[in-house]
Amino acid sequence: MFSKAAPVTSVIRDRDVDNPIAVRFEHVTKTYKLFRSDRHRLAHAITGKVKCDTINASDDLTFTVNRGESVALLGDNGAGKSTALKMITGVCFPTKGSIEVHGRVSALLELSAGFDMRLTGRENIRLRGQIWGLENDEIDAMEPEVIEFSELGKYIDQPMRTYSSGMRARLGFAVTSSMKPDILVVDEALAVGDRKFSLKCRRRVRSIMEEGHVTVLFVTHSLKMAEVFCEKGIVLEHGHAVFSGTIEEAMKFYAGDDEGVE
Amino acid sequence: MLSTFVQILRENWEMRRQTWHLALTDLVKTYRGAALGWFWLFARPAMYIFVFWFTLSLGMRSGKPVDGKPYLLWLASGVLPWFLMQSMISTGGDVYRRYSYLVNRIRFPLSVISTFYVLSLMIILTAELLIITGACVVFQIPLTIKVLQWPLLLLIMFVFWTAFSIACSPLSAMSKDFANLLRTLSTPLFWISGIIFHLDTLPIEIQRVMWINPVAWFVQAFRDCFVYDDWIWCNHGETVVFAVVFVAVILLAVRNYRRLREEVPDVL
Repeated sequence: MFSKAAPVTSVIRDRDVDNPIAVRFEHVTKTYKLFRSDRHRLAHAITGKVKCDTINASDDLTFTVNRGESVALLGDNGAGKSTALKMITGVCFPTKGSIEVHGRVSALLELSAGFDMRLTGRENIRLRGQIWGLENDEIDAMEPEVIEFSELGKYIDQPMRTYSSGMRARLGFAVTSSMKPDILVVDEALAVGDRKFSLKCRRRVRSIMEEGHVTVLFVTHSLKMAEVFCEKGIVLEHGHAVFSGTIEEAMKFYAGDDEGVE
Repeated sequence: MLSTFVQILRENWEMRRQTWHLALTDLVKTYRGAALGWFWLFARPAMYIFVFWFTLSLGMRSGKPVDGKPYLLWLASGVLPWFLMQSMISTGGDVYRRYSYLVNRIRFPLSVISTFYVLSLMIILTAELLIITGACVVFQIPLTIKVLQWPLLLLIMFVFWTAFSIACSPLSAMSKDFANLLRTLSTPLFWISGIIFHLDTLPIEIQRVMWINPVAWFVQAFRDCFVYDDWIWCNHGETVVFAVVFVAVILLAVRNYRRLREEVPDVL
């Protein structure tokens, strides 16, 4: 598959915000293993030598995002957008290829997840702060702002399992967006709660972006939103970057692609 | 192998503050929603000890003092460490599933999940052992210098069970069968490891086999501190075998972590 010199697998991740490059993917392939049965899965776990089907969610994916850019990832379902974002965030790892991420990443991925349902909203805010390695006074400073933004009021001291999905998503957005990121990753997150809150979220993302050197990666099916928020666009197809350019060009390419299919 | 070992140590060193907070949070979760709070962390082990004492001592009339120490002390010094080991075998061996949000929602080093889970159990056991030591002083049960070994023993336990969790959790995450196997093992281990009977009543061959059982070694070692007034390494054969098992578990932890760490987020 890699007739050209197969690149080494490597992930470089640092806080170097002076680097003009924020994110770089080079020949990144992410292979998921599909087992035929649970027996195969068990045998694989123990010996590591069992045949299985594979699927490439990212396939020789190469792109670069410069510091301060806001880039939309466009593509159909299954084009590998979310997998790419997950690898940028660092919750999953490339099978081949190299990834560079320079700066602190904050991800708005699947907002309602990532909380401990047995803890209260307030405890979850503190826990998240601790996991990020913030000092107690930094967490104290962050907490009221998050609570205020999430509009949870008295519910903040109730266990999260009693929250509605909208409430969880609101808290999720409030927490992740209040961490001062160098790179903001947004995946379909702005469709949170009612229209009023969704508008508030968009404003928050806008204000983070306007702070200057924050780099934004945006995945959405709403082309309108992509156009409003982003200046560049990358079109993915079958895990592969097929186009990279200004957002207008990218949208035109993506739309033209659709017409071709029909 | 060595680089993975260094990586595990580095991850744990970098996250040392988070580890402590997460361990406390885990405890908070256990008693969450109960008005009596912390009381419940200790009520369950206390109740178990009482029930064993009732059955064995009053019911079966086998609860004679051991080495001149009360039977209850002998029982507690085995049962309390067992509770930690039981949690480690059933839950600690499958800890990524318990904390799946740290695996595939937030970037978090997986080895640290094992560490803070063990630590949360360690906090309870430490408190329990302090209570026992205090009770011995109050009831004037003679203790020797050997009792001072238990902090050291806790440290050995901490490292051993963290390694155990790092070795087993990736396998449990990959395969539910493995997780079930561990869960199934925990009850038999309670009955065969000499927690509520004296191992030296077993035939000598079976005693030898039991040397490879780390649960039995830990229970014996805690009783060396509180009851038998011996050094924990006094049985040289057992201790050497335990050391070998210890090293094997660490090697397994490094091997499995290296091989499966990056796959775990994909399957959970």
